[in-house]
Amino acid sequence: MPVNAEKEISKLWRNLHAAQGEIIRMYYRMREVALAVAPTGTDPMALGLKAAEMMGKDMGKNLIPRLNWLKGEEGFLMQLGGALAGIWNTEGGLAGVEPGETPGEVFIRCTRCPWPGTAKDFDVSMEEVALSRERMFQAMLEDISVFFNIPLKLEMLKAIPRGHGFYLLRLSKAV
Amino acid sequence: MAKTLFEWDYSSYPGAASYPHLFKPIQIGNLLVPNRIKYAATEDNLNEHTGFITGADVEYMRRRAEGVVGGLCFMQGVYMDPARKGQGYVGQAAAWDDKFIPGLKEIADAIHSERAIAGFQLMDCGRVGAVEVERGHGPSGVPQRLRIFKPMDEMTNAEVKEMVQQHVDAARRGVEAGFDVMEISGIVGYLISNFLSRYTNRRTDEYGGDIRGRCQAMVEIIQGVKDVCGPDIPVGIRLCSEELLDDVRGNPPEDSMMTYQVAEEAGADYISCTLGWQESIYPVISRDIPQGNWLHLAKRAKEHVKIPIQMAYRLFTPDRPNAAIERGELDMWEMCRSMIADPQMPKKVLEGREDEIRHCVACNLCLARLFRDAPMTCYINPTCAHEHDEKFFPKKVADGEEKTVMIVGAGPAGLECAYVAAQRGHEVHVYDKRGEPGGTLLEASKAPYGDEELLTCTAYQKTMCEKYGVNVHLGTEVTPELIEEEFPDTVVLATGPVYEPPAAGGDRENMVNVLDVLRGDIAVGERVVVWGNRKPGIGAALKLAKEGKKVTLVGKERTAGFDVNPSFKWRYMIYLRQNGVKVYNDCDIVEVADGGVVVKTYDGYHIPVACDSVVVSDRKANEDLKQAVQGEGIEMFVIGDALVPRNLSSAVHDGYRIGLRI
Repeated sequence: MPVNAEKEISKLWRNLHAAQGEIIRMYYRMREVALAVAPTGTDPMALGLKAAEMMGKDMGKNLIPRLNWLKGEEGFLMQLGGALAGIWNTEGGLAGVEPGETPGEVFIRCTRCPWPGTAKDFDVSMEEVALSRERMFQAMLEDISVFFNIPLKLEMLKAIPRGHGFYLLRLSKAV
Repeated sequence: MAKTLFEWDYSSYPGAASYPHLFKPIQIGNLLVPNRIKYAATEDNLNEHTGFITGADVEYMRRRAEGVVGGLCFMQGVYMDPARKGQGYVGQAAAWDDKFIPGLKEIADAIHSERAIAGFQLMDCGRVGAVEVERGHGPSGVPQRLRIFKPMDEMTNAEVKEMVQQHVDAARRGVEAGFDVMEISGIVGYLISNFLSRYTNRRTDEYGGDIRGRCQAMVEIIQGVKDVCGPDIPVGIRLCSEELLDDVRGNPPEDSMMTYQVAEEAGADYISCTLGWQESIYPVISRDIPQGNWLHLAKRAKEHVKIPIQMAYRLFTPDRPNAAIERGELDMWEMCRSMIADPQMPKKVLEGREDEIRHCVACNLCLARLFRDAPMTCYINPTCAHEHDEKFFPKKVADGEEKTVMIVGAGPAGLECAYVAAQRGHEVHVYDKRGEPGGTLLEASKAPYGDEELLTCTAYQKTMCEKYGVNVHLGTEVTPELIEEEFPDTVVLATGPVYEPPAAGGDRENMVNVLDVLRGDIAVGERVVVWGNRKPGIGAALKLAKEGKKVTLVGKERTAGFDVNPSFKWRYMIYLRQNGVKVYNDCDIVEVADGGVVVKTYDGYHIPVACDSVVVSDRKANEDLKQAVQGEGIEMFVIGDALVPRNLSSAVHDGYRIGLRI
């Protein structure tokens, strides 16, 4: 029986995009729910950062079984950076990992991110989006640092919601 | 005896002979209007965000007042509540306090300085208001269909009465400012229309219920405004003849006609007949709607009321309203966008200079700007909203500073630049290798859904080139040798874009140029991929789809029609769907073979698309001749698509500005 490859692939592709969009919207809907039931005066930014921290912590646990140290520190950082970029891509971003100037660092560059656009629909500040992204990735590293006994550090150097046009995250071994 | 404000005698003008019904007087209330022309109240976002009038708006209005040659000239609708729930546009004028009267008076004076009749409009934007505050007000708290509008609060009975009083107070301020005609806006989703519609009015008090009840707020406003205006200032109202809201159970046409009759009973001196709401799903004023399409609604309105009926809505040329008035189907010709595009439009009609009219192309860029809180601008009139700034208007160059100017390309950019430069005193030569001026607009106008109207742009430019003595050399290709031979002082490159096939395509035989396709010079297969998802690609895709081809549109832009303004783009999106055009945005073509192409999505997926032909509509800047001109040390400008492929508007605006700079 003939299969219309274009139809099959494009249907899956559109469904993927719809699902990615729904994931982000669901997060912001739940953020609104949390704010609605939170005590009066709750700072939305604090709530957003707490959510990022909890989500990141949980996602970090999923990464532990997928990482290994066999390729050494440089390979480990590239693998970890690739995993973080992969999470971004699953959400609908376009991210990748690049080696740094020294073996102890890699950079995660994201040129497209669905979070700021959706955040605007929910009147969320762009700074909250930037800080939440950074906090989530930092929280992912916490258990990984302990598990592999290597202090990891992640800093956001550039961010789309800050008007830089892309995100640049530096993942390095903490000194 | 009706009151006459300014004496006008049109008998010696050719336009009065050609269009006698447009230039004959009409009595509105106790006021005699010398002609049948009205510049209808149009938001322009030129005023301060506090509601105070600016000099820019005064000059904008003065130009339109000059254009109506003694007819009605309305300033934009004012909002009337200090809470600003009725404010629909950031630059909307306010009249909720006496402190606004001096500014309003400046507008009335500017209109009077052109011996035109000054109209004042009361406009609470209701459901589409609250642009600067968090929540809007209306008869009922019906949720918004469109997310861009604010959530609604139901007005209490006392708030409705307060709103009525605000209309009356604002009308009194308009009278004190010196306006001659008062108008209430009850259209497109503004507050009065919200009360009238069964879609948005679910009240059970005296302001709701059946159509009479829903008209109650309007009746009280008309009566209150009439009281403060007295017998000499006519009071009119703009009302929807059809809401086009059947899909949300809006008013049927008979209810709308009832609103006309109730308005007349309440004392309205005229009705401006409109249709559609901002949230209607049907197009009303875009280019895909034929000219004169809605005149039957004016005719029906006249069958229901005795007071004069006015109408705008796709009446861009004088012949249709003139004939409609003659047939007794219309009383006055209103204009909004046609006088945004050319403020002197009716004046040129009167003076027999119709070929000098810069016609609106019904793109709705003006609306798109307003809805995005930006000042008014016009797609094809570069001076719109710059009337106050003399730098935007051509000035003669000083004696001895005239230049010989070579313009390469007789498209809309080149022609615009040519007549402006020539008007300033330069000797201008326009060259084009084709035998006809118009550039790629000649092909663009072949796309369906009204694009033939785009040619009005170059028709105007050709007239102006002729008027100012531009030398046009058709069928002459400009080469480096010709530049060297002519050695002009200035060269303007308006050569249009270069068409760029997908990188993987090379020069395969199944790859054809969009211009050839639009012209119909080349045959394509039954399955077609159009490469490039901007307007040229959309136009070609729609043309081919309407011919029965199976069309896929592939392009690099994140959304198709990136270069089409949002107020028109939605039409194209619907037409693409209706015509079965499959669209891949944000994609590349990474392989072209005889039986199809491979599309690569931005996120890395590969999709095979079967096709017989690939139509290339993607464009890039044109670098030809740049080096030759620079090598000669000649002053050079690059404009239009040759600089950066964009749209007709950019071509016209580029051409105009460079025409001023040379």
